[in-house]
Amino acid sequence: MSPADEIEYTKVRGLRGPLAIVEGVSGIGWDEYVRITLASGERRHGVVLDADRDLAVVQVLEGTAGMDPEGIRAAFSGSPLRVPVGTDWLGRVCNGRGEPLDGGPPVLGSHTAEVGGAPINPVRREPPSEPVLTGVGAVDVLTTLVRGQKLPVFSVAGLPHLELAAQIAAQATAAGEAFSVVFAGMGLTHADASFVRDALEERSAAGELVLLLNTADDPVIERILTPRIALTVAENLAFNEGRHVLVVMTDMTTYAEALREVSAARGEIPARRAYPGYLYSDLASLYERCGRIKGRPGSVTVLPVLTMPAGDITHPVPDLTGYITEGQIVLSPETHARGAYPPLDALSSLSRLMRKGAGPGRTRDDHLHVAAQLLAALAHARQVRDLADLVGQAALSPTDRRYLDFEEAFLRDFADQRSDEPRELDTSLERGWQALLTLPRSQLSMLPAQLLDAHGAKEFDAPDVREAP
Amino acid sequence: MTIPAPDQTADTLAPVRAGLLREAHADAEALLTRTEREAATLLDQARAEAQAILVRARRQGEADGANAARDLLVRARREARSRTLAARREAYEELRREAAQRVRGLRGTDGYASLRERLEHRARILLGPDAEVSEHADGGVVARTPGKRADLSLTALADHALDRTGAEVRSLWEP
Repeated sequence: MSPADEIEYTKVRGLRGPLAIVEGVSGIGWDEYVRITLASGERRHGVVLDADRDLAVVQVLEGTAGMDPEGIRAAFSGSPLRVPVGTDWLGRVCNGRGEPLDGGPPVLGSHTAEVGGAPINPVRREPPSEPVLTGVGAVDVLTTLVRGQKLPVFSVAGLPHLELAAQIAAQATAAGEAFSVVFAGMGLTHADASFVRDALEERSAAGELVLLLNTADDPVIERILTPRIALTVAENLAFNEGRHVLVVMTDMTTYAEALREVSAARGEIPARRAYPGYLYSDLASLYERCGRIKGRPGSVTVLPVLTMPAGDITHPVPDLTGYITEGQIVLSPETHARGAYPPLDALSSLSRLMRKGAGPGRTRDDHLHVAAQLLAALAHARQVRDLADLVGQAALSPTDRRYLDFEEAFLRDFADQRSDEPRELDTSLERGWQALLTLPRSQLSMLPAQLLDAHGAKEFDAPDVREAP
Repeated sequence: MTIPAPDQTADTLAPVRAGLLREAHADAEALLTRTEREAATLLDQARAEAQAILVRARRQGEADGANAARDLLVRARREARSRTLAARREAYEELRREAAQRVRGLRGTDGYASLRERLEHRARILLGPDAEVSEHADGGVVARTPGKRADLSLTALADHALDRTGAEVRSLWEP
């Protein structure tokens, strides 16, 4: 207990909404964590939003309902929030500030760490390598997630991004090495929170999951703490306990909105769309906490999920996220409307580090070839579809019609998957091959001849050959 | 012009009648064969469809059954886990109650006077020499100055000490 922590301030000038203004304080800093005791003995917690001379504005995490300014005692901890770290977190379900929701004792740890953390020193970073297999075929084959990578999911309201996030969190593995998932849900509705709990129950019971749930009606300042607590716990599990950790954070747009609300309460000058000017650096301070460290086991991989308001990819949150992260998985309403899950827009999705995690010695020798050929064929199929809209399918060449068949097979047989079905990479690649084999061999120019022979690729009827470009 | 006798007319038309009858028979035969073939095809189709429906229904039933079984398993696991956690919480709270009770017991001991003196000294360091120091009902002291308070009661000190024990508490439920 620090001396600062032992002194309780009892003069509260007023309560406004979730804010308490404490008077007569000294030596108080921004973001300091506050323990508030009510006259009844009830404990609440807060964070210093603003400190000026002898005044401190404290946002009370549990809200100020039922608080009498007369009986309040506020003890300032002298530092931003610290959380205990260690393997005790595994299998626990907590709220957005790390307090148990599962009826268990508080999460205990042999030491604590500041949730603000610090990004990894660039010279001590080990480049990401080796894959994290998500068990979602389209993601594993086309946008392979690499250990230590940050790969966001860009979605639109109404699409099943939460299902996808939960599915990845439930199924992801690291080739038999110790693996854990930290799932940070921010601004979730109660129905969504309950869905996530159900979907991740098995992994939680297996002691491989830390679940932090900040619901939509929880205080906004807690939403700002949630991803930080998740990353702090993950860093310890990775770099001290030697595990590969996947941190799923959803929904980052809700997080950014919370940041905007707090920034407005602090009276800061708003920037683009009223988000604070430091939105970029704030997002970077979260995303850059992933990676691998030289000489240490384990890795932290980050999968943030964000919704683009009105599908606008130039909105500040996806825009700035795109600057920091290493690729993106884009979900599309068109694919969703065609009944495929996950509704991945394969041509807009990209994992920039895929080559470091896929291919010979990492996944399968033909992985990169198949992925490249699938995307190339899909791009051509899209052109053919546009052409067919103009001239009608009957006017297409037989080869082009086969591209339409390929697109159908790609969606139906390769991309489409049940949300509770873990799919092995081998199965996914074979399904990719099956879709590709709807095309004549002459069209599969990105695949080596011996692979084509092995999979029995053939030309179809003679007119196809003649008309093939 | 002579009118042929009726029996002569019948004789003349006989081949026509026979031809018509033959054709009608052949048509009827063909129709029958076609109908039989169609009926057989329809029957085959119906059988195949019924088989497909049966397979689909079986698959659906299996999927539903698997879902129901998984739901049951999830619920059972959650129940077991929440009971374990509730038991751990109970043990943890019992530890806190016990610690608070033991520490309150210090009041009756010989060393209490010197302990209280040290706590009073600590309170004056924290809040200054003008702080008003009073005895707490649970033992220990509480110091006050306008706008500030320092709780050095024995129960508060025990609480803080337990907060610092961290992972050691795990020994309550782990061997």
